Amino acid sequence: MKRTRILKAIVVATALPLLYLAETSPDAARGLTLLREARAVVGAPLTPMSVAGVARRSTARVAVASTAATSQQQAATAQQQQATAQQQTATAQQQAATAQQQAAAARPAGAPPAGAVVNALPAGCKPETRNGVEVQNCGGVYYRAGFQGNNLVYVVQ
Amino acid sequence: MQFTITERLAATLTRACSIAAVAALSLAAQAQPTGIDPEAQRLLKASTDFLASQQRFSADTRNTLEIVLKSGQKIEFNHAARVSAQRPNKLRAERSGDLVQQLFVYDGKTLTLFNPKDKAFAQVAAPDTLEGMIEFARTQLDIVAPAGDLLDKNAYGILMDGVTDGFVVGKAVIEGVRCDHLAFRAPHVDWQIWVQEGAQPLPRRLVITTRDLPNAPQFAVTMTKWNLKPSFDAQTFRFTPPAGATKVDFLPR
Repeated sequence: MKRTRILKAIVVATALPLLYLAETSPDAARGLTLLREARAVVGAPLTPMSVAGVARRSTARVAVASTAATSQQQAATAQQQQATAQQQTATAQQQAATAQQQAAAARPAGAPPAGAVVNALPAGCKPETRNGVEVQNCGGVYYRAGFQGNNLVYVVQ
Repeated sequence: MQFTITERLAATLTRACSIAAVAALSLAAQAQPTGIDPEAQRLLKASTDFLASQQRFSADTRNTLEIVLKSGQKIEFNHAARVSAQRPNKLRAERSGDLVQQLFVYDGKTLTLFNPKDKAFAQVAAPDTLEGMIEFARTQLDIVAPAGDLLDKNAYGILMDGVTDGFVVGKAVIEGVRCDHLAFRAPHVDWQIWVQEGAQPLPRRLVITTRDLPNAPQFAVTMTKWNLKPSFDAQTFRFTPPAGATKVDFLPR
């Protein structure tokens, strides 16, 4: 369970930036991925930054709130031994995301699904206010910033 | 013959290791201590009690965090933080490092996290004591105040919870300060602390080894520039959003 969580965090952190980097500069991918992975992990609950944290972590905790359906799927593929319950969650979330994706007809092709969480914005985003909320418009895909632990992340709207 | 950098490094490491091995031999040769040495307990308690009795203090911290990649490879990250605290309920930590630049401010009511580069901040109501806030931040928000264990008035209880073994390793020098080096062991975690000798037994270094994670990653913090009479002003523990900063949410877990 603990192992699964840290692996998952790393897989999620690695997979998402790769999706974007693949389009721009393959050579830059490794270094940048590591940096973003670090950004995602530093301050995450599994980091051994306090004795109390380690002691309490050993008691069972609910799995991390989901991130992207796509990354969940990748995480699931990468970890064949993942718990069945988590796979079911992933499937449910994927279905939900797919439904949302279908609902948003204007969404550009290949855009990440609503609810996906990324550690960095793609290039060329512009801030704007949408429904009273400040968001980043990245080529028609809207991202909203939020803190996940110590990390600033962006949630696809 | 031309050596590659790697070969030279390996040779240097081998030499360094043999020297270190000789030094460590005397320790390793001793019977493995079991149980908790009362002297180790006494030295630790002197330190935690001393810090708990300080109403205002600040220190510079250097933090090293190991992350284990899926492959098993360890990667190390570093950041520094300037920590200012005022009991019973004020804290400010300014972090800078590999990637993270972050301001953490707690005014006794509200906890603020601010990323200056992203111009984004989040705020949430927090418990009204330093201890309650640190616990809340860790368990509810997944925010970790570096070495938050030490700031707690009950640091001794937190650190010693579940500890089965503890001993005094010996004398050591951390950043030019003579210290007593203590080592403790609990079921999931090993930790070591270096406590300044003399009338001000300040913690100078803390190393946490997580034995329950693959490859046992470590977190280490070294504390320098302790100031037990810092001058704080009205802004020290107050967050005023800079122009153009965006307020964001803590995402639900």
